[in-house]
Amino acid sequence: MGRWGTRGTVTPHEQNPSPRPRRESNTGKRRKTKRKKKKTDLEELKKEVVLEDHKLTLEELSAKYSVDLTMGLSPRRAQEILRQDGPNTLTPPPTTSKWFKFCKQLFSGFSILLWVGAILCFVAYGIQFHQKEEPTKDNLYLGIVLAAVVIITGCFSYYQEAKSSKIMESFRNMVPQQALVIRGGEKIQINVENVVVGDLVEVKGGDRIPADLRLISSQGCKVDNSSLTGESEPQTRSPEFTHENPLETHNICFFSTSCVEGTAQGIVIATGDSTVMGRIASLTSGLVVGKTPIAVEIEHFIHLITAVAIFFGVSFFGLSLILGYGWLESVIFLIGIIVANVPEGLLATVTVCLTLTAKRMAQKNCLVKNLEAVETLGSTSTICSDKTGTLTQNRMTVAHIWFDKTIYKADTSEEQTGDSSGMGKTFAKGSATWFILARIAGLCNRADFKAHQETLPIAKMSIHLQDDSNQTHVLMMKGAPERILEFCSSYLLKGVEYPMDDEMRNDFQKAYMELGGLGERVLGFCFLNLPSTFSKGFKFNTDEINFPMDNLCFVGLVSMIDPPRAAVPDAVGKCRSAGIKVIMVTGDHPITAKAIAKGVGIISEGNETAEDMAAQLQVPISQINTREAKACVVHGSDLKDMTAEQLDEILKNHTEIVFARTSPQQKLIIVEGCQRLGAIVAVTGDGVNDSPALKKADIGIAMGITGSDVSKQAANMILLDDNFASIVTGVEEGRLIFDNLKKSIAYTLTSNIPEITPFLLFIIANIPLPLGTITILCIDLGTDMVPAISLAYESAESDIMKRAPRNPRSDNLVNHRLIGMAYGQIGMIQALAGFFTYFVILAENGFKPSDLLGIRLNWEDRFFNDLEDSYGQQWTYEQRKVLEFTCHTAFFVSIVIAQWADLIICKTRHNSVFQQGMKNKILIFGIMEETFLAAFLSYTPGMDTALRMYPLKLSWWFCATPYSILIFVYDEIRKLIIRRHPGGWLERETYY
Amino acid sequence: MTKKEKKSFNQSLAEWKLFIYNPTTGEFLGRTAKSWGLILLFYLVFYGFLAALFSFTMWAMLQTLNDEVPKYRDQIPSPGLTVFPKPLTALEYSFTVSDPRSYQGYIEDLRKFLKPYDLEEQKNLTACPDGALFEQKGPIYGACQFPVALLQACSGVDDPEFGYSRGNPCVLVKMNRIIGLKPQGEPRIECISKSENTAALSTYPPNGLIDLKYFPYYGKKLHVSYLQPLVAVQVSFNATSSTVNEVTVECKIDGSPNLKNQDDRDKFLGRVVFKVTARA
Repeated sequence: MGRWGTRGTVTPHEQNPSPRPRRESNTGKRRKTKRKKKKTDLEELKKEVVLEDHKLTLEELSAKYSVDLTMGLSPRRAQEILRQDGPNTLTPPPTTSKWFKFCKQLFSGFSILLWVGAILCFVAYGIQFHQKEEPTKDNLYLGIVLAAVVIITGCFSYYQEAKSSKIMESFRNMVPQQALVIRGGEKIQINVENVVVGDLVEVKGGDRIPADLRLISSQGCKVDNSSLTGESEPQTRSPEFTHENPLETHNICFFSTSCVEGTAQGIVIATGDSTVMGRIASLTSGLVVGKTPIAVEIEHFIHLITAVAIFFGVSFFGLSLILGYGWLESVIFLIGIIVANVPEGLLATVTVCLTLTAKRMAQKNCLVKNLEAVETLGSTSTICSDKTGTLTQNRMTVAHIWFDKTIYKADTSEEQTGDSSGMGKTFAKGSATWFILARIAGLCNRADFKAHQETLPIAKMSIHLQDDSNQTHVLMMKGAPERILEFCSSYLLKGVEYPMDDEMRNDFQKAYMELGGLGERVLGFCFLNLPSTFSKGFKFNTDEINFPMDNLCFVGLVSMIDPPRAAVPDAVGKCRSAGIKVIMVTGDHPITAKAIAKGVGIISEGNETAEDMAAQLQVPISQINTREAKACVVHGSDLKDMTAEQLDEILKNHTEIVFARTSPQQKLIIVEGCQRLGAIVAVTGDGVNDSPALKKADIGIAMGITGSDVSKQAANMILLDDNFASIVTGVEEGRLIFDNLKKSIAYTLTSNIPEITPFLLFIIANIPLPLGTITILCIDLGTDMVPAISLAYESAESDIMKRAPRNPRSDNLVNHRLIGMAYGQIGMIQALAGFFTYFVILAENGFKPSDLLGIRLNWEDRFFNDLEDSYGQQWTYEQRKVLEFTCHTAFFVSIVIAQWADLIICKTRHNSVFQQGMKNKILIFGIMEETFLAAFLSYTPGMDTALRMYPLKLSWWFCATPYSILIFVYDEIRKLIIRRHPGGWLERETYY
Repeated sequence: MTKKEKKSFNQSLAEWKLFIYNPTTGEFLGRTAKSWGLILLFYLVFYGFLAALFSFTMWAMLQTLNDEVPKYRDQIPSPGLTVFPKPLTALEYSFTVSDPRSYQGYIEDLRKFLKPYDLEEQKNLTACPDGALFEQKGPIYGACQFPVALLQACSGVDDPEFGYSRGNPCVLVKMNRIIGLKPQGEPRIECISKSENTAALSTYPPNGLIDLKYFPYYGKKLHVSYLQPLVAVQVSFNATSSTVNEVTVECKIDGSPNLKNQDDRDKFLGRVVFKVTARA
């Protein structure tokens, strides 16, 4: 303490030269070192708040901040400090610039490969341009198309992302708040951001606390700390130092909490980022957030496809050089292979699918801030839920009433529609005791009363005029039950007063214990009809009691709780059956937390904690094997001393866990613990105290109505109706979109094989090119898009809420089975469909398959204008090129036709299409759309010059149908076998 | 999530080694021998079946084809023009009169090409009436004679060097064969020199006439010894004294309304452009 004393009149920021563990007060130092020590800073922030100011006496306080406790700072001094410390605001989280984001979109994923393709195109064009006087512009056009594809998909993704982040902007509108400070003895209203350390501030009921305050005087001041600690009840604040923990002591008020009632004066001990709230906010924005599970999956998938593309590209580039092709030709092959390997439209498809789901979820009151978070809830395996405001209604509600020696249950549901008859006993509203109790409760509820803390620490009392009785005044009192009982010498039973006896005391004790054990806050009520000597106009004085305060009549007990929301127990049950562990993490007391946990099913019926078991078996807790207890309640103070291993042990061994009295930092540690065990963690919360955990979680879910701005900022998802049950919808949608994305990707990847194989055969077998780059782009960006998106509308195959969450390590979006199916099986059939059509067209026009092998060199020779076909006819270069492009068109159409069947089989992964039905109208539209698009591209006049696509004879459309039917039949059989032999070889090898 | 610690090179190498061959599980590239066997067997059967199916559909398709005439001929409605011999680069004939080696290739190509046109070879062919289509009903299709003498100075009979040694080279122009093509009118090859007055062009047969008796063509299989009608173009440079003579020649089919000689994209449809460079 002496250290503080020596500071004298020096301002706090000019001292403390060494970067010692910071105090809340040395703001300047902290700001200066912030950037240098960002990492250690974050570790610092994770530690508990260290604060000494609450232990100081008023004199020490005055000396420390060199402020006069009645006059406040001088305005000049305040200006100086303001200049040194900066404004009293939270630093907004750093934002990345729009250009940076845009560039990221342009150079991520497949874009790099496509850029390489485009650049190779330009290089090839450049070489051709220099070598020949009359170069073909094909490569130039292709390069431009590729670049355009990258830029357009980049713009699209950027637009989608920007749209969802715009939602956030709306939450940022912070209304400037005013604060009442005393400077130089004058009360002045200033903006909150101008409040400085050392300012003398006055707050009253309804105000937001402008900074961290050390109270120096107060009158009945109560603050709502729920956003900081999670406690629903207003806390009394007075100048006394009552607790070592700065969060619990009475003489500190925290920035951005609110004063509920009363008034208080205090000295500002911290402003802006150095406040407790600011620390949490900077901790939140400083956290490095991991990638979302779907982003990890997509990255994995991109790596896979890129690896395949590079492997094919490089090996065939090498092969073509070995086979004696020129550099230029090899480069052109390379471009073709890259274009064929990269599913250009797929990332846009994924974005659209996620957007559709995000929209669907927004309609169900889940607002998703960034698209990728849509799926995260689906993979979630652990939900860490805050209690106050999320599971509960965040309002103290009467839960039980005890009078006439009976406990009655009150309706605690939000809409007061709960059926109370089933539980407890029906209300004896006829009882005279109830009438009196209700009157006391009504009148003692924040009625005109004087604080009486010296003599009646937690009792409230009021004296009222009574008109309808001969005794003019009645004294009514509520308070801690045991204190109330002490005042009483009689009790009320069915409206009749009886003298207090031991039986009544026993009954009282039992009821008190029972209600207290429910985690409820119990109040006792009593009254006394004052004798008529206290006539109208009698001056009651509560400071020096001038009226009788004994022999009161005990009426009953009322217990209150912040009751759970009605939909929560059901939602928790659904999460359970979906294999999701629900953990409660709250700042509230263990008993209350446990009661609510039991009420909502987080601790399910029949499951007991180690303490419960000990109590039941009447043995000390040490003899209970804690592993036997499935449930457990962990106190924040225990958590503080735990090592990471111990925490892991708890998280691993118990299925039903409640963490009580946790600080924001501990919430973060719990989330990190879960993540360390491989879980994908969702955190729900509404308070500032939840925001670090919200940010750290794989998906943070904030409450839209009661949630604080900081929590909304940190969250990925916002529940617009504050209803925990909406999370279940989110989980369901997330799982559905994951399944459907698999289907979409399986569908899209399949057409890669019929795109690559033409190039490979072109190089190896020296046949005319069966499918060109432009037609590949027509498939990837044209016909495949709508059908792939339509799979996002596919309904679930089975009850997705009955299965366990996916294991992010083994259950990937794209696995070798999916690749095997798409590339090895269906893709091969599709390729054959295309090649069959190709051979049919060439044969029917004169080039029999046997004559095609090795024809490439002559075929591609621009000056070889009398190439002989199998019938002796001679073709000019252009004539056979038209034929070749007709083949490209036909190959393209064949892929479309094979993709019909592929789309239908991709509808399901396990069930038969006949079980699933064809109810997906978008999918049917998709099939029609791709067909019409194909017909449009083939038959529109001018397409021959624009895209080099030519009209086809009707019969060529049907060449692919046998293969299309084969795809359907093969996959139905495959799925039938999988259904018949669950866990069999086919399932292990082909169920994606 | 905290940043993953970077794996050391040895560690990742060990992981790769384990992936390639894991001695404890006997896994090779992540699969046991049995697993590999099963998956390979699966794909063997699967691809075997696909190959069989593909072969079957190809066979079925080939059965529908006619051996003599292709199913569709609408892709080549009109013939292209080509020149012979084939120059080495693009369509530029370049040679040096004084250096026989520079045109030796051309002469050999021409001789080889004209071999079937020898009188000896044509003994079995029909002498068809001039100026009318030679339509036949089969089953045996005869081919009309094309006496090489029609090419006169370019026939190689009088001048075995086809004029190359004198700086007046011969180039053969021919029309692509198309089954069933029946030219209307009087088709002939007309050649003009694009560079003015540097060279005179003479075409043989006179006027570049292509007789209708060589049409229609019935295909490689039926029309076995069919001889394609030829037109020879001889370039005679005016200024024989200059060291380098250059001329660009454009030939096109003329006189037949159903044979196109103009197409934006196809530079060889009914026409051909070539360049002759003769050095002294």
